[in-house]
Amino acid sequence: MQSHLIIAIGVFVVTYILIMSEKVNRTAVAMVGAFLMVVLNIEHQEQALKYIDFNTIGLLIGMMIIVNIMKKSGIFQYVAIKAAKFAKGDPWKIILYFCVITAVSSAFLDNVTTVLLIVPVTLVITDTLNLNPIPFLVPEILIANIGGTATLIGDPPNIMIGSATGLGFVDFIVALGPVVVVIFIVTMIAFKFGYKIHYRASEENKIKVTKMDEKRAIKDPILMKKSIVVLAFTILGFVLHQKLGYESATIALFAGAVLLLISQVDVEDIFIEIEWATIFFFISLFMLVGALEEVGVMTFLASKLLEVTQGNMVMTMLVILWVSAIASSVLDNIPFVATMIPLIKNYGQMSGLDVTPLWWALALGACLGGNGTLIGASANVIVSGLLAKHGQKLSFGYYLKIGFPLMIVSIIISTVYLLIFFA
Amino acid sequence: MRKLMNAEIMQHDIKLRQMGADVYVINSKMCFVIFMVGKHEIAYVYNINNKGRYFLERIKPYPLALREFEKEDDVIDIIEIDLEQFKNASNSHNIDSFIEINRDFNMSLRRFEDLFLYYNVPTESVNEIKGHLEKIDDIIDQTRMSAERLYFKKNPDNL
Repeated sequence: MQSHLIIAIGVFVVTYILIMSEKVNRTAVAMVGAFLMVVLNIEHQEQALKYIDFNTIGLLIGMMIIVNIMKKSGIFQYVAIKAAKFAKGDPWKIILYFCVITAVSSAFLDNVTTVLLIVPVTLVITDTLNLNPIPFLVPEILIANIGGTATLIGDPPNIMIGSATGLGFVDFIVALGPVVVVIFIVTMIAFKFGYKIHYRASEENKIKVTKMDEKRAIKDPILMKKSIVVLAFTILGFVLHQKLGYESATIALFAGAVLLLISQVDVEDIFIEIEWATIFFFISLFMLVGALEEVGVMTFLASKLLEVTQGNMVMTMLVILWVSAIASSVLDNIPFVATMIPLIKNYGQMSGLDVTPLWWALALGACLGGNGTLIGASANVIVSGLLAKHGQKLSFGYYLKIGFPLMIVSIIISTVYLLIFFA
Repeated sequence: MRKLMNAEIMQHDIKLRQMGADVYVINSKMCFVIFMVGKHEIAYVYNINNKGRYFLERIKPYPLALREFEKEDDVIDIIEIDLEQFKNASNSHNIDSFIEINRDFNMSLRRFEDLFLYYNVPTESVNEIKGHLEKIDDIIDQTRMSAERLYFKKNPDNL
């Protein structure tokens, strides 16, 4: 048993270091680590598979199917162009409207998908206005991560937390929605003044934006209508899933399957677009953390946490919030949350306390922490890559100067919020 | 990375649609095929997609216009014949001149297009160019009649 413990910790730590180093593909490393646990008999295959949270996996796949079909209709481009025209080409109004669209989208879609949909339109608009796209894209990165914090399905850490705890869509939006709105407003005010000089365009270029035709963005009006109807029912399903007694994955997968059937799109084309590397990364992490649970590491860590905090809920909540935020600003928040979930669960069982506030602290810290650095969240890395392809460089240092202080502000707001409502 | 590629496609799609185009994005695979014939590199690029259409283009030693095929076998047949013909031609001591003339033709074609698209070309100049081209065509025909034919697997497409 002693040797199993040492081997499990060793495999886990080495895998974690390799994932964080980003020198090798994270999915490949996580898969090797996960199956090494099985090969080295730390856990049997059957046990390992039991640790995979198929609700999280199902929810991710279901939403990926829905989004990949929806985006074929051109609806996102239509909404964005309409918003830019509604702003009459005024750069500040455009970024404000785009950030509202980003926040709402990222609350219902994952953050990476959201930025992949909004950034191409933003680049077209900034090209038309002949403006530097960075002061438009940096707010969109931050707002995507902020918006995603508000709901069960907005960010992978929330999906994992919801699935592991049984906290539902409504629980998330009620607990985290208000603080997210406050953080959104504060962040937008900061950008309004911080980037003031960048939000100026010539009248001639503003007119060019107003002359864009949003209707030309619609590729398939029938598909658009079908997608909107299915998405509306999906959101309704999420709101009611606890009352109806369904898991969130059931809602997402059923909606995805229905849309696949009624949209008459090429099913293979949609399945090609599913991010299988991300899915297998999740599966592997669940297996890896499961191995640690199997050998008792999580119980040990939870007892130590209980010893240090002496069951002081407020202190534990704030420690989790700030540690999650700082860790997530430089590390991948998915493996971090995957590790924290069993730790908090064990902590709750040992202390006999209601640990719900700890889940909110973890969600806020892990989701908002990603705004701290350019490598803090996948959405940040994606936008930086898109800018590089567009011939612009978003440097680590430049982003750090803007993202880190705003991330700290958001965590301070979260601290106050948690102390007022959950202490 | 597939995600970045999709975002780029979306950006192009928005711009092209605003220009009035209809844009169809098809999942496909692009294949690069390279042969060495003597010191010459013969390269092709072709695209296979799930709509059952194949697009083939020779890119080296000089470009040959894009052609569309319905069957994968057609693509391989074209490459096979093209390669055999190049292997034959590579035995000729005129091969370097042959490649150079083809490249020059391609360059002249592009220069003519620029002339047409960027300038108001007088009719006399157009007629003069046409006259020179007809002379070149005549030389090709005369040479064909006097030269020995070397390849018989298929008949020429344009002679």
